[in-house]
Order: sequence, then C-alpha cells, then structure tokens
Amino acid sequence: MKINLNVNGVTFPVDIEPDRSLSGVLRNEIGLTGTKEGCDDCECGACMVLLDGHPVNSCSYLAVQTDGRQVTTVEGLADADGLAPLQQAMLDAGGVQCGFCTPGMLMSATALLSENPEPTVEEIRIGLSGNLCRCTGYAKIIEAVGSDAPST
Amino acid sequence: MQQGSGTTKFVRADGPDKVTGSGRYAADMVLPGMLFAAFRYAEVSHARIVELDVEAARSMPGVLAVLTDDDVPDVRYGAGVADRTLFARGVVRFEGEVVAAVAATTPEAARSAADAIVFEYEELPAIVDVEQAIEPVSPLVHAGWEDYEASTERGHNVASYSSITLGDTDTALAAAHTVVTSRYVADASHAVPIEPRAVLAQWEGDKVTIWSSTQVPFDAQAGVCETLEMPANRVRVVVPHLGGGFGGKCGFHFEAHVAALARAARRPVKLVFTRREEFTAPDRRREGMVIELTSGLDADGRIVARTGEVLIDCGAYIADGAFFPQVASMHIAGPYSIPNVSIEASLVYTNHQPSGSVRAPTAPQGCWAVESHTDELAETVGLDPVEFRRLNAVREGATGPSGQVYGPIGLLDCIDAAVASASYGTDLAADEAVGVAVGWWPTFAVPSGAYVKINGDGSGQIITGAQECGTGSVMTLCQLAAEEVGLNPEDFQLVYQDTAAGPWDMGATGSQTLVNNGRAVVAASQQIADALKKLAADQLEASPDDIELLEGQARVVGTPAASIAIGELAAIAAGGELLLGHGSGPPPVAPEISATCVGDQGMAAWVAPQFSCHAIRVKVDRDTGVVRVLSVAAAHDSGTIINPMGAQGQVHGGVLMGIGQALSEGTVYDDRGNQMNPGLLEYKLQTIADAPPISIDFVGVAAPDGGPRGSKGIAEAPNVATAAAIANGIAKVVGARLTQLPMKPERVWEASSGAAEAGGR
Repeated sequence: MKINLNVNGVTFPVDIEPDRSLSGVLRNEIGLTGTKEGCDDCECGACMVLLDGHPVNSCSYLAVQTDGRQVTTVEGLADADGLAPLQQAMLDAGGVQCGFCTPGMLMSATALLSENPEPTVEEIRIGLSGNLCRCTGYAKIIEAVGSDAPST
Repeated sequence: MQQGSGTTKFVRADGPDKVTGSGRYAADMVLPGMLFAAFRYAEVSHARIVELDVEAARSMPGVLAVLTDDDVPDVRYGAGVADRTLFARGVVRFEGEVVAAVAATTPEAARSAADAIVFEYEELPAIVDVEQAIEPVSPLVHAGWEDYEASTERGHNVASYSSITLGDTDTALAAAHTVVTSRYVADASHAVPIEPRAVLAQWEGDKVTIWSSTQVPFDAQAGVCETLEMPANRVRVVVPHLGGGFGGKCGFHFEAHVAALARAARRPVKLVFTRREEFTAPDRRREGMVIELTSGLDADGRIVARTGEVLIDCGAYIADGAFFPQVASMHIAGPYSIPNVSIEASLVYTNHQPSGSVRAPTAPQGCWAVESHTDELAETVGLDPVEFRRLNAVREGATGPSGQVYGPIGLLDCIDAAVASASYGTDLAADEAVGVAVGWWPTFAVPSGAYVKINGDGSGQIITGAQECGTGSVMTLCQLAAEEVGLNPEDFQLVYQDTAAGPWDMGATGSQTLVNNGRAVVAASQQIADALKKLAADQLEASPDDIELLEGQARVVGTPAASIAIGELAAIAAGGELLLGHGSGPPPVAPEISATCVGDQGMAAWVAPQFSCHAIRVKVDRDTGVVRVLSVAAAHDSGTIINPMGAQGQVHGGVLMGIGQALSEGTVYDDRGNQMNPGLLEYKLQTIADAPPISIDFVGVAAPDGGPRGSKGIAEAPNVATAAAIANGIAKVVGARLTQLPMKPERVWEASSGAAEAGGR
C-alpha cells in the first residue's frame, strides 16, 4: 500500500505491506532508529511515539493507520537551537542510564506535559506508567519531568 | 572540594546521544547486503535427537545459510566445566537450546526456513528438582559428564561444589543455648534488560567484526575465538550503545552462531531477539535456590555456630556459575562474626534454562533467606532485630565467617543510618511494618587497562577496554582523568567497548569498572600529568615537583601568577614528544582467610567488601495478600563515592529490581521444565507507579584495598538486601514467615491465613 507518512514534519511517501508496524517502518524505511522495540506486546513502552500529539505504542500500531496523520518521534524533540528543555532536564537530573527506554519515556512525558504543564508526582507516575525502565528505579525520571514542568 | 561530596553536576558524555535518539544500539545497525538470522530451538527440555534434516530449509527462496552442529568446529566449551556446544549435539537439555541457525534475506524468510527444518526427537525424563537431581537414582542431565574437561569439584548432577569450614560447628551447636533451623526456597527470575539482544557479524577476508549487545566484549571475543578456532587479533567485538544488561548480557552467547552464519552466507548477518527469546534462550537466568541453615546462639544472643546446605539450580549448562556455590555460602554465613561455620553448596544440573550471573548472583536470594532466619533468631532470644544485628555484625578488626579480618568498614554505620532514615521504632498502623536487613557483596579485583592521550588542541581522549552498560561507570572515567591532569571532565571523549581499540577488561560485570578501569585510567593519566609537569617546569623555570595541574592551568605551587595553560603545553607537545599515557596498575591482593574451602573459587576472601542496610516500610493487605512498599531507606558502604549521581542511580535501580524480585517477578515452570511466563505480560516488572520513595545514605568508609580514592563497587549491592527487608516487614505484619520467593499475593495470603488460624483470629 502506498501511504504518506508524516514524521516530525516531513512527509515520506512509502509503499508498504499492510501488516507492517509503525515502529518497523519508522526504523527500517524512514531510518529513524531512535524509536526502540523492546517487547512487541505493548508492555515496555520503548516504542512510544506521538500520533497527532497522543502517545501510542508504535510496535502495535499499523503504519497504514497513520496515513496523513502527524507522527512525532524522539528525533523530533530537539531543534536547531539544541535540546528541548525536557531532554536537558533528563540529562541534568540523571534520568538516563542505558538509554533504551529513554526515547519512549520522553515521548510519554512530552504528551503528559503538553496536556498538564505542571503535573504532580502522582500525575507523573500515572502518565509514565506505560513505560518500563530497568535501570533508574524511576526516581530521577520523576525528578526530571517534575523539574521541567513549571518552566515550559 | 571533597571527593564525592555530591556538589558536582555530572552530565554523562553519552547522554545527548541517548536523549536525541541519535545513539545507535546493536539492533539499529544496518550493513549493505545484510541478512537476517533465525534460530530453531529445542522447545523441549530434555530429548534425544532422532532426526535433524535441514535440506528442505536450505533450498527455500532467500535462504543463504543453514547451520547445525555438523557445520562448526568440534569444540566443547564452558568456564569451569566444558559442558557446552554451540549447537545441540545428540541431546537437547533445555527448551531454549539452539538446534540450528538460518540466514536469509528477510526476517520472515529466515523464520519460515527455521520452522521448515525437520527436527524429530525422543523425549527423555525432565530433571527439574534440585533435591531429587542429586540423588544417585536420578537420571543425569549430562550422561558423559565424567569425560568433560573441568576444574570444579563435581558429582552426580553437580557442576560445582564448594564449602566453607571454620572452627567446630558440632561442638559449638551442642553447647549452644538456643538452636534454630530454617528452610527457604527461592524461585528463579530474570535480568530483563529493556533492550533484547542483537548481534551483527561481517567478515572481511579472514577477519570478522561482530557488533553485539554484550556486557563483556572480551569474553564474547574469547568465546568466538575458542569455538570458531580463531586468534584474538582476527575477531573484533564492538558494542554500540548497550541497552542494559543486569548480568543478563554477561558471558559468551550467540556471537559465534552469527559469525558462522555470516561466513557461510558470505554476507553480513544480523540477529535480533524477540522478548520471548530474551527470556528463554540465553545462558542467563537468576538461579533458583533451596537453602537450609541452622544457627546456635549463646545466652546473650551471639551467633556461635552456623551450618548450611544450599542447592542452586544450575540449569542445563554451567555458564559462568562455577563460583556460585562459594558466593552463596558466604551469603548464608552473612556479614556476621561467627566463630564456627560449616556451609556447603552445590550447583545442580537440571533441564531448566542455564543460570548465569544476574546482578549479584545468589546474593538477594541468599540474603533473603539468611536475614529472614536472622529475624527468627532475634525473636527466639527476645532481642529487637536491629539490636541483634548490631550485636553480631562484622566491624573493623572483627573476624568474619570465612576467617577474614576486616579493616575499616561501615556496616554498623549503615545500620544506624538506615534505621534513622526509616524512623524505625515509631508506631505504625496495624497493617504496616518496617523490615530491616543487612547485606554484603565483594569488590572484584581484576586486571584492566586504558590509554589516555591529550591532543594538540588540549582536548583529551580515553581509550579503554571498559564497557558501559548504563550505570555511568565508564562515563565517570572522564572525571578521574580530568582530576589527574587538571582538565574538566567535558574535555575528554571516550573510545570504548571495542576489543580492537582498548586493552583487556572484564566488562560490565561484578560492579568492577570504576574500581579496576578507574585504577588503569588514573595510572595512564598520571603519566600525562608527569609529562605536563615537565613541560610546564621548562616553560616556567621551576621544578616539576613544584607544578600543580588545576583548572586547565599548570601552576607553580605558591606562585599562582606563574602559570601556563595546559592547552599551550599540549601544543608544545604536539611538536615534539606526544602526550600519551597507558596504564593498568596492579589489582589489590586478596586478603588472608583462615577457613578451609573445598572447591575454592576464590570467593571466600573479599577485597574491599561492600556493606548495606535496608529498612523498608511495607503495607500488607491481609485479605488479598497484596504488599505495597511505602518507602525504602537504603544505607551503603561502597567506599568513597566518586560520582554521587551515578551511585544514587544504582541504588534506586537496584532497590526497585529487588522489590520486583521480592514481590512480582519469578519464573514459573511447568513440570517438564518449560517457562510458563516468558513475556512482560506475565512476568511483571515494577512500573513507575509501583516505585516508592527511596532515601539513600552513603556512609563512605574509604577502602584501603579499594579502587581510586578508596572506592568500591556499587551496582550490584543495592539489589542484595531489598527482598530480605521486605520479607521481614511482611512477617511482622502477618505474624508468619514467607518461605518462598517471590512473596506473591497468594503466598502472603496463605502465610497470613495460616498465622491467623493458628492464632485463633
């Protein structure tokens, strides 16, 4: 099937089988490997991307369902001026260790903060509960998302 | 500034790669002409191979290679016992054993061809119970075990046996005021890094480059060299960013399979695991254990004797488990001054997936058992559990259970700090309690190496064999180098995790990186510092001994105006003798012990031992058995803390992993040895919504035999005492001991109901 995949503001015409996952097409056809695949059953959240601003597990989302819609991946967070405040906050707080969950975590947190710019710790815990991290115990991720919240 | 005072802001050098998505992991790598690998697994835990026919698979479209045991060198390998082959030979011994491997033009074609392989077998009885397996009547997992090359003490279905004997336990137990015997059983669990492993191999002539998500690139290289019969200088293992390991990616696994496929197909080949494969196929699983121990106390509550017997589920192959019995024995002894000790432990073959080093192997289970037992002992003699531990814990000058005499250590400080942070002893609701446990873990003193260079523009590079698995330990090397040569950490870039670039290193295993590679980087940096001081002395007309290197400047001590920028010195060096340093440094020597050890694996004499105390507040719903962890107070003596942010991250992560192991994680087997929950839907990790607040105290006793600045390891220790402290909290609430790990709701409910019935509630 031929579709127009709009990723981070750029439109990519692609011709793909209808059973292809969004994460697979992003990683293989579009060449954006920041989106990670950790489980293939919507449990780990490493593949989280934004679809029209809402977080979805791209491993379990069909690429053809995104035709004409806006996909945002981790590569779309920083701009020419540098890192987004949330990315910088994750580094400053020490919320990054192995980094494999980080892209998905950043996308969920971006969605949370766009809806709720000043989340409480409890709201952060609910908003990011679809993203597994094995390294950090989440403490410094909560700190990063909380510290980013008031200023952006 | 005081070392490790916590005021340094530390932004890791690999951080920008990781938050922007530009950092590459092994599964992200693509090469021209690349093929995809798929394995055919046994999918039966014990069987004799009757027929293995790959002809149909070989002729399928897009298939360029199909390999079995017939297609690789006849090599049996394994650390301690050579019990392993790359592909199953005659018999399969666990469900995830690789029978054949395929390389094809698409992942789908590779999978179809693997499925098309004709694999017929005759099922053999599955050996799944360690207590039955050691009986002489039990069938053997390895019928030919006596012919294997081995350096361990072995027996019937026993891959490695070890004992620790100190004093005379028979006499001491006979004379004891009180004797308590306990039995505890721990289920197996998993490391579960979020990145499933990936391996990509490419041949150029007679050399192969392998990109692998391994924690131990040099070990992986050695495995390839051994099994494919190649010299080390023709096998290069490169690790792109590694998406976590926790021990699950230690050891040599599938690098040789993929390299052999790539050689046969004459194309690059990539293997990427599914989550199910990550659970079932690697020689890595946290071992199940059966633990029996007996302690004798004197009238004051001092432990006068301890005996123990530990059976550890090895699974089908030894992997890196040869030392498990001895380290498990140390955990059953515990960090206590016990004058009479007799503990023996066996690593027992079964038809389960092989066990291997997962974050402090044997320790969380052993600590959970011994610290549960310790609370039983305290109750028996009417002492508060904390007081009982203060009475018996090892301290400076004390002799431990293997006869090691300790230098300056901070276990008592850990106890004080944790119970203070947890407000231990204050009144709580009837369904809440604070459980306390102490733990310990060695520091692994091993060789390691690094080069450091300063470029002509004054920027620096560290070329190291060390492996970063996420902890930040390799990132911290920049800080050590910077302190030695008077530059900033950001002035250094790292070249790392490439066996062709850096000197040998043990890898991201045993919490050893900063201790050993830190020593190497300091040694290499000191050569640079010496060269800089000589250059500065010439320029400033002073003696090199009077030059200090600080804040990017070389200065004459006491005359701050007499200074020159290190960048200028680097430019001078670039026109003459280059600024190159190389270092290794002798590892600390193991301490003397007085215990007798059969099957000694060097694990009863601990260099720079780490200590911890966790005080954990739990809330138990007696009607459902559900346990919530409300807060954790973790106090650690991991020596001098060099990178506070990194060390805190290890405690946070290790504690949460420990909570998972305590409550929600645990591999469930059917009676034929197959895993019933090899996926994240059924094997539950702790989420951010489960994570309690964790307070951390580093008591920071500098270790005279530690790494740079008196540091010790830190990555594994926080995992050790967590399940134990939770168990002691649960027991206080429900009035009964939980004797099986994990302490799942049904088990808590059963213990609680049993106690209520016994108590007439």
